[in-house]
Amino acid sequence: MKLLVTGSTGFLGQAVVRDALRLGHTVRAAVRPATDVDRVWPDRDPRLDIVRIDLRRKQGLAEACRGVDAVIHLAAVKMGDFYDQMLGTVVATENLLAAMDEAGCKRMVLCSTFSVYDYMRPRSGRVVDESFPLEPDPDARDEYAKTKLLQENMVRAHAEKHGLSLTVVRPGVIYGPDNLLNGWTGQQLGATRWARVGANAQIPLTYVDHCANAHVLAATTDAAVGQTYNVVDGDPPKQKRYIKLLQRRLTPRPRVIPINWTLARTVARCGWLFNRMCLGGKAKVPSILVPCRLHARAKPYRYSNAKLRDELGWEMRYPLEQAVDRSLAIERGEAVADDAEYTARPGEAPAVAAPVTEAATA
Amino acid sequence: MKTAVIGTGVICEQHLIGLSRVGAARLVGVCDLSPAMAEYTADRFHADATYTNYRAMLEQAKPDVVHVLTPPPTHLRLVTDCLDAGAHVFVEKPAAPTHAELTQLLDASTRTGKLLVEDHNYRFNQAVQQIEQLVEEGELGTVGEVEVRMVLGIRGEGGRFADRHLRHPSHDMPAGVIHEFITHLCYLGLMFIPPGQPRTAERVSALWSNHGGGDHFRYDDLDATAIVGDTHLRIRFSCHTGPDCFTLRVRGSEGWAETDLFLPHVRVVKPRPGGRQLSPLVNQFAGGWTLLTASARSFRDKIMQRSAYEGLHELVVRLYDAIDRGAPMPVTTQDMQDTSRLVDALVAGQEAA
Repeated sequence: MKLLVTGSTGFLGQAVVRDALRLGHTVRAAVRPATDVDRVWPDRDPRLDIVRIDLRRKQGLAEACRGVDAVIHLAAVKMGDFYDQMLGTVVATENLLAAMDEAGCKRMVLCSTFSVYDYMRPRSGRVVDESFPLEPDPDARDEYAKTKLLQENMVRAHAEKHGLSLTVVRPGVIYGPDNLLNGWTGQQLGATRWARVGANAQIPLTYVDHCANAHVLAATTDAAVGQTYNVVDGDPPKQKRYIKLLQRRLTPRPRVIPINWTLARTVARCGWLFNRMCLGGKAKVPSILVPCRLHARAKPYRYSNAKLRDELGWEMRYPLEQAVDRSLAIERGEAVADDAEYTARPGEAPAVAAPVTEAATA
Repeated sequence: MKTAVIGTGVICEQHLIGLSRVGAARLVGVCDLSPAMAEYTADRFHADATYTNYRAMLEQAKPDVVHVLTPPPTHLRLVTDCLDAGAHVFVEKPAAPTHAELTQLLDASTRTGKLLVEDHNYRFNQAVQQIEQLVEEGELGTVGEVEVRMVLGIRGEGGRFADRHLRHPSHDMPAGVIHEFITHLCYLGLMFIPPGQPRTAERVSALWSNHGGGDHFRYDDLDATAIVGDTHLRIRFSCHTGPDCFTLRVRGSEGWAETDLFLPHVRVVKPRPGGRQLSPLVNQFAGGWTLLTASARSFRDKIMQRSAYEGLHELVVRLYDAIDRGAPMPVTTQDMQDTSRLVDALVAGQEAA
């Protein structure tokens, strides 16, 4: 198949391009005008075709979509104010959809996010799967969650109205080289200190190569049309396990300041009530004091990848420890073979990936 | 009054927050080339309808007032069409990239009998109003020098002006990115020229630099002095120094006052009770107290999400009130012309350099 990948030079995008080529597909990578392509792909595969476009403007988009079998739409903006994100995520997608219509391209895989879910209302311990409720009050969440919800709703409405074959892929927390820390591991306080809220919540981690593979499978499997898939690796670690694993490997060893989950949510609740009752709800406070944002990062849920495995035959290639070691090796500039033999450290997980789904074990 | 907006970017939000304080206004239309942007804005501010074609909006919604909030190169066409359709226009700064183009817009306003007002929002910030009152009451004596300084870190990675993938429209203005801000600097300087003096620059020195280099930014620094009557206007813009600030200092024959609109306070040095001996000491105490209370207020404003756009909200309220009562506009045609002429003079300094 010929796949157009937007956001192709990003963290996930590069992995998607790599995986699509590995599986024998032809890739057209959408690259923004000023990007140094030779730095991203120094030895370019002949099956990789580059098209220079910026989704925030319409010029050249229809031409880029012409002749491709499916679009894997990863491009989104995570930084900047609401309007930067609105333009780079929602308006960009709007332009892409119009261009696909014009070019007669009818297949899209949209990379959404776990951020669209409602973490505030469902009780702790529930399994987060594709039927989990969506955030009903996006304005209370951050700009990213807000714009990704707008994007997903817009694409779904467009698919229904214009007959677009759509698959929505919602990755959990994507990790890999240069991206081992995230909101779930805690707030970074200086170079080697983290404030970690909670300890026993699972982190819905997915290694970047696994997540990329889910996108390629979604684009190339007929059964995926009209479906939504959550992407989370098997056996997601609890916060304390993941952080301990990182502490063992990082130098200097990071120091973690644990903050009790019950205490954190009580403080956030009090802050929210004070804001609402005394300040008319207008005060802007750090995310850790906004209940719905705190819950989205640290509430103890469990996660399922059952649908992804059962319907698309998706499998993990590396267990957590091996994926972290691969990431660190890549960060150090070492060559890492895809099928390199892995020896687990004493006391850590076995070398074989065992994709456990929480739904199955619940 | 039926109101509509064209362009739903960052500044639109502030216009509509201001509009929400005008009881008599009803938002009948929101227009943007992006349906998603138009719908989001319409939802948030309870507009009657959304449009992607402004002509269709003018024809169907028939607004009394239109806020034109698109990039400056589009103003000539949009503002003229709105005036021709019988609507008053409130246009974002700069209304036009040159004085000649502003004259065309003002001619259209005269021809149609409809008002055209350019956004001079910072004139209506409380701190600026307070300094204006000090000047009017003669507390500072006769104004002899006004310095307006804006420092913005817009060359940094990730900002919309530094984005090399999607070139910001302001890069193509006569003064490059600085043209996006220069209107503010000029109208703030001109508003303190003593009454009765012509507000035309007799001599101008404008040094334009690109300290950061490269071809993306034409300039990142302006160091200009304009002599207007007996008053020296110092206009400074920099995006290669830090931290961000937007300061205004007005010096008179008796004293001076200053503010930073990003961290509002008004520090005043003037003759105090205690005569010439004790005035410096009293001024220092007063200055310390001003900074202390201002820091508490700034902290409150930060928490409560109050921004430097308070002047824009106030201007919107005054504008609609003036339209309603048929009173003089808060920003006059003369204000717009004087500002535009000064901008032209500074830009001409760039060409001469």
